[in-house]
Amino acid sequence: MKMRDIVRRAGRSLKQAKARTLLTSLAIAVGAFALTLTIAAGQGARQYADKLIGSNVNPQALFIVKDETIFSPTATNAGLREYNADDTVLSDGSAIKQLTQKDIDALSKRKDLENIEPAYNLTMNYLTVEGSDKKYTSSLGAYGATILSDTAAGTLPALGTQIKDDEVVMPEDFASTLGKKPSELIGKKLTLTVAKAAAPPTEDEIAQIVATEGTAGLAKLAKGETKEVVLTIKAIKKKSATALTASTSLEVSNNQARQIAEYTTQGTNEYQKYFAVSALAKDSKPDDVKAALKNDGYTAQTAKDLQGVIFAVVNTIQGIVVGFAIVALIASVFGIINTQYISVLERTQQIGLMKALGMRGRDVARLFRYEAAWIGFLGGIIGAGGATILGTSLNPWITKTFSLGDGNTILIFEPLPIVALIISLMIIAVIAGYLPARKAAKLDPIEALRTE
Amino acid sequence: MIEVKHLTKTYGKKNNIFTALDDVTFTIPDGASVAIIGKSGSGKSTLMHAMSGLDRPQQGEVIVDGEDILKLKKKAVDHFRATQMSFIFQSFFVQANESCFDNVGLPLEIASVASKERRQRIIEALEAVELGDKIKSKAKNLSGGQKQRLAIARAIVNKPKILFADEPTGNLDSTTGDTIEDLLFSYTKKNKTTLIIVTHDPDLASKCDIEIRIKDGKIEAINEHKKAPTKHATLGRIQ
Repeated sequence: MKMRDIVRRAGRSLKQAKARTLLTSLAIAVGAFALTLTIAAGQGARQYADKLIGSNVNPQALFIVKDETIFSPTATNAGLREYNADDTVLSDGSAIKQLTQKDIDALSKRKDLENIEPAYNLTMNYLTVEGSDKKYTSSLGAYGATILSDTAAGTLPALGTQIKDDEVVMPEDFASTLGKKPSELIGKKLTLTVAKAAAPPTEDEIAQIVATEGTAGLAKLAKGETKEVVLTIKAIKKKSATALTASTSLEVSNNQARQIAEYTTQGTNEYQKYFAVSALAKDSKPDDVKAALKNDGYTAQTAKDLQGVIFAVVNTIQGIVVGFAIVALIASVFGIINTQYISVLERTQQIGLMKALGMRGRDVARLFRYEAAWIGFLGGIIGAGGATILGTSLNPWITKTFSLGDGNTILIFEPLPIVALIISLMIIAVIAGYLPARKAAKLDPIEALRTE
Repeated sequence: MIEVKHLTKTYGKKNNIFTALDDVTFTIPDGASVAIIGKSGSGKSTLMHAMSGLDRPQQGEVIVDGEDILKLKKKAVDHFRATQMSFIFQSFFVQANESCFDNVGLPLEIASVASKERRQRIIEALEAVELGDKIKSKAKNLSGGQKQRLAIARAIVNKPKILFADEPTGNLDSTTGDTIEDLLFSYTKKNKTTLIIVTHDPDLASKCDIEIRIKDGKIEAINEHKKAPTKHATLGRIQ
């Protein structure tokens, strides 16, 4: 018997039991619906993460640390360890190896790295903006020249060029806090007040200051030294849905950042120590540089690794939903087995007739397997179609509700995975239909024809 | 020519043994109409099943055109049934929800006949039983007589050499039954098809060329009726 004829006959048989066929395929449709949405969400999340990283991290970027535990959430350095003056001790008692100026110099000498920028730990007492006496505080960071952001006002230098040491870049949010339009702030002076760490004064220092300035001098010494850094507002960074860094930080040039960091940490254990350094791979692949750095005792993370971390989260969530969908599919498999068994019983006479007319047992089995495949196909179409329609219509709402930014959709429906899904559902249905089909194939035609 | 030699079929085991066919031997010439007549339980249906290769008796041979179909492999027997034999049943066994066209097409689909040729042969068969206007009708909308005519169309569409009819008129009133009988006899005589009717109706049996009486699995008598072949040639008005 020709395959085409069997497929057609299988379709006709299903049409004669429309309600049953539909209900059986609905079970598969539930699984297909969940799987389609999961695939679409995974696709969307991955693309969103790509975009997020693409607009925040230069693909050549490397994030270099000396302590590999920074990158592994499970490993800690808690416990009894030998004291090292270069380590920083965290609140939980664990210590982290830091990079020293010696490391920075060593990294700067490397031919496979450029744009070496230590992660300065910047703090300020307060800041004031020209035209107001009001004091504000905010977080402070170094300007990243490897990514060019959009501006709400002012202009940023070309990609790869630092802002000048007396310039500062501000996020759009700050302008509204200051009660100004972004354009009004450009060119205005911004004064940072930073404090030198109060190192315990030595006895000689105390004696000297009491001798020259009296007790007033002593009070001043205890209070600590501060300095004012006057900067010009160069640009206001536009709020971006996909920009992670600098969206809440005031940014100064790399040089200025170093000066502030060195001023505030001078005389302390933290002076010229950095827990991380960012750099760009020069004329080589970030992964190769990462491997080379590993040999020299540094641990590095590439932009790809960062992507991996985000994807790992996406994959975990996706895995959970896929698990539920698979449970639904297993349930639907039993539905198909049951339905097909009933179908075989109902059509005993028809099977007997077909076998009496010379239809081979193999072809009878195929007839029932194709019926199962049709059910799988129908369920797949209903589920995937429903998910696509629902997801597509919900996309604008999701984007708006979670403020993902314009043009970002979290559910991305691609034809290829959906087609692959439907085909696998058909295969699952055929496997489910195996036992009933075998029963039909083994039916004795004489017995079958005797059944009235 | 069909030669049946020493056919023996038993059911059950040792103490509970039942002999359905007991050393049955006879010969049927090509194109003959044969009635296998007996009471229910006499073994006539078992004989038909054995002759069509549906059943496998323990002993004996069924030689059709020189070949013992009981020695053929299952695949070959299936092919043999699909191309050389057909069946008509007491309760028609037409597929109620399918159109007449699809009902009649089944044997051709099984025999893998190309769909273009199929269409033509289905129409011919339906016209031969005067159901040419019912091609698209569902089988469930037909009357009993029409259903059996549809079954005949399905039986003749693959131009079989042997046509088995199991109580073909058992579910029909006598007038309708007569027209079905006439249709069967005229078709088989015209096309030189061997017709084997299983029945318990002596009137129907007497219309056949050969009458094989069977009782308790044994042949009781074989009667040959010498009749003018024109007797069944006229086809009455069909309901």
